[in-house]
Amino acid sequence: MKALFSLFAPNDFSLIAVVLAMPLLGAFVNGVFGRRLGKSAVRLMALSAVGISFACAIVTFAALNDLTDAAKHAGAEGTPQKLVWTAWEWMKLSGTGASRIAVDLRFSVDALSGVMMLVVTGVGFLIHVYSTEYMAEDKGFWRFFCYLNLFIFSMLVLILGDNLPVLFVGWEGVGLCSYLLIGFWYNKTPNAAAGKKAFIANRIGDFGLIVAMFIFAVYCGSLDWTGIQNNANNLVTSFNNPPGSGPGAIHLWPIGGGRFEDYTLLGLKIPLHKLQPDTPWAITAATAASLMLFLGATGKSAQIPLYVWLPDAMAGPTPVSALIHAATMVTAGVYLLCRLSFVFVLAPAAMLVVAFTGAATALLAASIALVQNDIKKVLAYSTVSQLGFMVLGCGVGAFTAGFFHVFTHAFFKACLFLGAGSVIHAMHARIHDDVRSQDMRNMGGLRKYMPLTYWTFVASTLAIIGFPLTSGFFSKDEILARVLVSTPTGVDLAAGPKPWQWPSWAPWVLWGMAIAAATMTAFYMCRCVFLTFWGDFRGWTIGRPSQVHKSHHDDEHHDHGDDEEHHHHEDLSQPGLPPRESPRTMTIPLLILGAAAIVAGIFNPAAIKLIKPDFDFLPLDHWLDPLFADAQRGLTMAEHHLAHSRELLSTFGAFTAFAVGAGFAYWVYVKEKGKPARDAMLKVPKLYRLLLDKWRVDEAYDKTVVASVDALADTATSVDQGIIDFVLARLTSLVVAATGTVLRVFQNGVVHVYAAIMVIGLAAVGWFFVQPHAAFTIDEKDGDYTLVASPGPSYSYRWYPDATKEPQSAEFSPTAAQIKVHVPDGKSQTVKLEVKNAFGRIDSKVYTISRPVPPGGGVRERGNQPRGN
Amino acid sequence: MIPVEHYVALSALLFTVGGVGFLVRRNVLVTLMSLEIMLNAVNLALVAFNRQATHVGAHTGQIFAFFIIAAEAAEVAVGLAIVISLFRIRRTVRSDEADLLKN
Repeated sequence: MKALFSLFAPNDFSLIAVVLAMPLLGAFVNGVFGRRLGKSAVRLMALSAVGISFACAIVTFAALNDLTDAAKHAGAEGTPQKLVWTAWEWMKLSGTGASRIAVDLRFSVDALSGVMMLVVTGVGFLIHVYSTEYMAEDKGFWRFFCYLNLFIFSMLVLILGDNLPVLFVGWEGVGLCSYLLIGFWYNKTPNAAAGKKAFIANRIGDFGLIVAMFIFAVYCGSLDWTGIQNNANNLVTSFNNPPGSGPGAIHLWPIGGGRFEDYTLLGLKIPLHKLQPDTPWAITAATAASLMLFLGATGKSAQIPLYVWLPDAMAGPTPVSALIHAATMVTAGVYLLCRLSFVFVLAPAAMLVVAFTGAATALLAASIALVQNDIKKVLAYSTVSQLGFMVLGCGVGAFTAGFFHVFTHAFFKACLFLGAGSVIHAMHARIHDDVRSQDMRNMGGLRKYMPLTYWTFVASTLAIIGFPLTSGFFSKDEILARVLVSTPTGVDLAAGPKPWQWPSWAPWVLWGMAIAAATMTAFYMCRCVFLTFWGDFRGWTIGRPSQVHKSHHDDEHHDHGDDEEHHHHEDLSQPGLPPRESPRTMTIPLLILGAAAIVAGIFNPAAIKLIKPDFDFLPLDHWLDPLFADAQRGLTMAEHHLAHSRELLSTFGAFTAFAVGAGFAYWVYVKEKGKPARDAMLKVPKLYRLLLDKWRVDEAYDKTVVASVDALADTATSVDQGIIDFVLARLTSLVVAATGTVLRVFQNGVVHVYAAIMVIGLAAVGWFFVQPHAAFTIDEKDGDYTLVASPGPSYSYRWYPDATKEPQSAEFSPTAAQIKVHVPDGKSQTVKLEVKNAFGRIDSKVYTISRPVPPGGGVRERGNQPRGN
Repeated sequence: MIPVEHYVALSALLFTVGGVGFLVRRNVLVTLMSLEIMLNAVNLALVAFNRQATHVGAHTGQIFAFFIIAAEAAEVAVGLAIVISLFRIRRTVRSDEADLLKN
């Protein structure tokens, strides 16, 4: 480790460059040369790029660990350590006043980004391995790995960026890769539409992130993490700044802090003062910045109201769903919340919004997942729901718990998606149809045929539903417990306003919502397992080759790269081959992720403390503590005994949620073979349809937001076609055409006419030089006027200081280029200049200078009236 | 010594002859010759003015005339080339028949 530090200093840790550059190199090579390289070379490039990146990430993490230990021995425990590498200086922004905000292309690895970096490269590597098999038959193999490598690079930029603009570059980069990969099979319209939807929904979130950046630039005078943290108090204390003295409170109504005054229009008085509230509605910059950051997070992390893109994003290949839309990219929003935790705790009101959005998202998505039949849709809504849990954790100030759930979720959800991919892979060999091969009603009994997939899927299902001692149990339990125990109370700074306080019922409502969501999670995940793997295989009848054949030809744009010949030799009277287990390149990543899903809880088994109070093996907690230490000042924890009883209650609730949900699913789908579900479907058909249609949120958005944007676009189109195209463009072209008609007469192609025009022009120029031109400039000071004649070729001048009298001198003189004239106040005088040139021709100019009477000897105005000659 | 006015008068006369010829003749060869006459009228004026008593020791006029002669030579080379090209395409050297660019 010493040798490592002698190579790379902690403040210039260029190994980070290798971590970043390898995936970029992979993306470049595969993108530019991939088509010619062939599949094995593309595979080698992609895997080695991410593999080396992962190896370097491990070394970097070890170095960071060493640095933290060294700091601990030096007695500096609690100060966050980080490894920094600056690529180059990017730009310097002008801040308020004369300050300059330096924005460098700087990357840093600290406790938070270190863990994220390992997850992204590690899980990313496993999914790359899996994809080499899953995508083996695809024509766009090289394109896929180019995008996937580019995604890893962008995600690393997002995580490792040391300031908001660099993070934003990565933020946009992962959005781009997500778009490219959702629409990977771009000649199918729904896929392309889903990609577009994801991109646009994220764009709305990005608006929030950009506004937050502006707020930090103005109020904190910095955009990097350390700078924002050091100046975070300004976000609150600036609230009491008087108007006009730099950044102050952010006024919501009247917007920007003006005043509504009555307005008279055509003798009619409009009583605008009624719009003026008694006290203007203002919030602290901390609240505004937090809400704007959270808007960004809702876009990326699929929270209400912007979650709608994530379920549609399942149109992409399944490994993409696993990597981008479950394990890594969608957690970027939660990462942002954790990263800027010290800002969020300053704004309890914003925290309430965050917490309730998280809880509501968890509940809504879980309710939708109850009835979905597409295995990937179930997992997609499950992802949205779990992201809701993470956001809820951050919203109550349990940043470690929220981040721990990011960590465990990365394993079990990636495993679930890859397991689903394995199932779809097997089903796809029977049913050549994207929709029907993913329908759980066509599956069943697969555990017999695909034991490895089954066991890994079960392992990660146990984790997600919170089976005791699995990773998901520990992480979810901690979030639930902290909802009851910790409350964001803000920081009461002397210079700032008193922080707004949460109502006392809020934690209980949040907890109730979370428990309900957890119960539903247990139910729908068990339903998913029972429908897919238990019972008898239903694909025998549904996936009959004869039907397969038909549906295959219906689908003209089929480009999954499968061989058409495959089915032509099959006996149509036979049910076809049974589903087969996937090859080892797919099952090994599954096994690793499944094992991690079970045991990853070891990193923070906080629940054990309930039984053994002196238990202190909480590596992640201790690891992240220095980073979140600053956030603790804005949180109030319940008193020790109360906290203990509430944690017990919460754990009991979580266990009950798991037991009730899983038991009920077992009763419905195994004991009664799904009969109660069908009965319920018939009993409340409207509710069932509503859930199946995902609460019709997409339709509501279409009717309101999309429709109004469309209407605006239509208006713009008619303005464009009616005014711009019709009036402006036609009129302009008419003028040009008319001018052309006139000029065409001269452009008659006869050389001597051109010659004649040229001669006339030359004669005019000649005449101009033969003729003298009298002109002068005037300079005035207290009634003394200096007149300077403009020079010309062999000019001589004669001045008449008073045009009615004799000239200054009788002769013209080439040196008398200027004269001085004094005009008293209230008088006027006419000056005349005569200019003679070498040809003896004379030109003259007359000018009257008049001075007004000064009003009481005050300011004098210039009253020069040009008259010309 | 002949006064400068005589030279200038001759120069003006030559220039007018050239200018009128340039404007009225349709034969491109004659047009080119008229141009030569105009240029030489200018040369004459330049050289004549340079001989004036106020310009003793200065040779600007003469040097300028040399430059004009050089430019003339180049212009004639290009001009005659154009005339030959025109003749090859249109079988004529009359400028009013070379009107393909009309409108």
